[in-house]
Amino acid sequence: MTITTLKLNLGPQHPSTHGVLRLLLELDGEKILSCEPDVGYLHRGMEKMAEKMSYIQYLPTVDRIDYLAGFFYSELLCRIIENATGIELPDKVRAIRVMLLELNRISSHLLWVGAFLMDLGAVSPFFYAFREREMILRFFEKLTGQRMMYNYFVFGGVRKDIEYLDDVNEIISVLPEKINDYEKIITENPIFLRRTEKKGVLEAGKAINYAITGVNLRASGIDYDYRNQDSLYKGFDFRTIVLEGKDAWARYKVRIMEMRESINIIKQALDYLKKAKPLEQHLIPPVNLKLPEGDYTAQIEAPRGLACCFVRSDGTDKPCRLKWRTGSYYSVNLLRELLVGEYLNDAIAVAGSLDIILPEVDK
Amino acid sequence: MLELSRALLEGLWTVFKHLFKKPVTLEYPEKRREMNNVFRGKLEVSGCVGCGICQKVCPSGAITFKKDEYGKVYFYKFDLKKCIFCGNCAFYCPKGAIKMTKYYELACEKSEELELVYKGGCDD
Repeated sequence: MTITTLKLNLGPQHPSTHGVLRLLLELDGEKILSCEPDVGYLHRGMEKMAEKMSYIQYLPTVDRIDYLAGFFYSELLCRIIENATGIELPDKVRAIRVMLLELNRISSHLLWVGAFLMDLGAVSPFFYAFREREMILRFFEKLTGQRMMYNYFVFGGVRKDIEYLDDVNEIISVLPEKINDYEKIITENPIFLRRTEKKGVLEAGKAINYAITGVNLRASGIDYDYRNQDSLYKGFDFRTIVLEGKDAWARYKVRIMEMRESINIIKQALDYLKKAKPLEQHLIPPVNLKLPEGDYTAQIEAPRGLACCFVRSDGTDKPCRLKWRTGSYYSVNLLRELLVGEYLNDAIAVAGSLDIILPEVDK
Repeated sequence: MLELSRALLEGLWTVFKHLFKKPVTLEYPEKRREMNNVFRGKLEVSGCVGCGICQKVCPSGAITFKKDEYGKVYFYKFDLKKCIFCGNCAFYCPKGAIKMTKYYELACEKSEELELVYKGGCDD
């Protein structure tokens, strides 16, 4: 008797692949024998494009690297320019940036909660998560002018002083209760537990070998959060959430707990901003901003893992080479091993639990 | 088993409570949301002096600016098909001549309607 295997294309148009991820699966019955992720359907040449644009022209486009967490990538590029030109950020700008970054992290995690549950077949939490995310996006829209492509950070500061702090107050007073609601619906739901417990187990050693960072690493029991070393977060008091579960459920739980921790950080930033004086800044950077010759890097803890930017400057107003390191790219790679031995039904649950976002992978 | 059904019932009750809440969505296009003043929608230009900085800071090449052969009259075109509404031109404009309006429904029959063409004279 000969055993034949079935090759199955999962994606790139599958609604649960969060964009355009194609997974080439080899199946024996319903069991996955091998998985080959195929990326690049959303490649926009973000790195090559930078070589033909000045830093000021490039800044609005970096929001599009990860459209769910645009502030993080703007912050990263701003940080490179600020480090290279020796600009010191005022405390108020630091507090504004931390507050917006953490709100952005919450909105990104909220979308993940909704989309992940949708992948597993639960429709209601998707709408609840979007409802709360909408509150945050409305605040961003009031402040920056757009809902997702903010373009609010500029080199050395922010475009204009912070406003609408009452909205933030309302968000952080409402959110903990809503997160409790999600937990009531999801966390101990027997169907959810069956779909996620012991599924996609990621051992700590494997996570390190695959250069996994962020929530996925912390759910495997490794205490690493770049925010602890980040000078932007200096003076803010927060815990690093680490769980030993290693499975899809642990990754869900870490994200939920991280949202609560982000609310704590926002509270601290908000308390500072309420008392702070109006921002005095004359921030129209020179149109021909030039970086001194040399190599520059900066890192930040984005919602999907450590994000890193490298710029090589030859002394002109355009980067000679620019490179992005994004968390999702490494998570996609991990699917090669994580899906082997799982059932086809669980492929989406495991892939979804890693919080992959394809624009960030393909750049 | 008892624990599991308790969790299930609690979840269902939380979902059930939502049935009695007001809907949070608007039925577009019958009802539209009011945009705030800083919303970055369609561009509007008035009081331009023809310095050309907007062209230099535009990331998508949506702005073309040129002067005539005598350098007295200039033309500029904002191509909204290319525009990514980042607001760089409005932010860097030294005269505050470029404004972004609340208008965001840009669908139209002819593509020329999305090209804003202006002509002006240079002072010097």
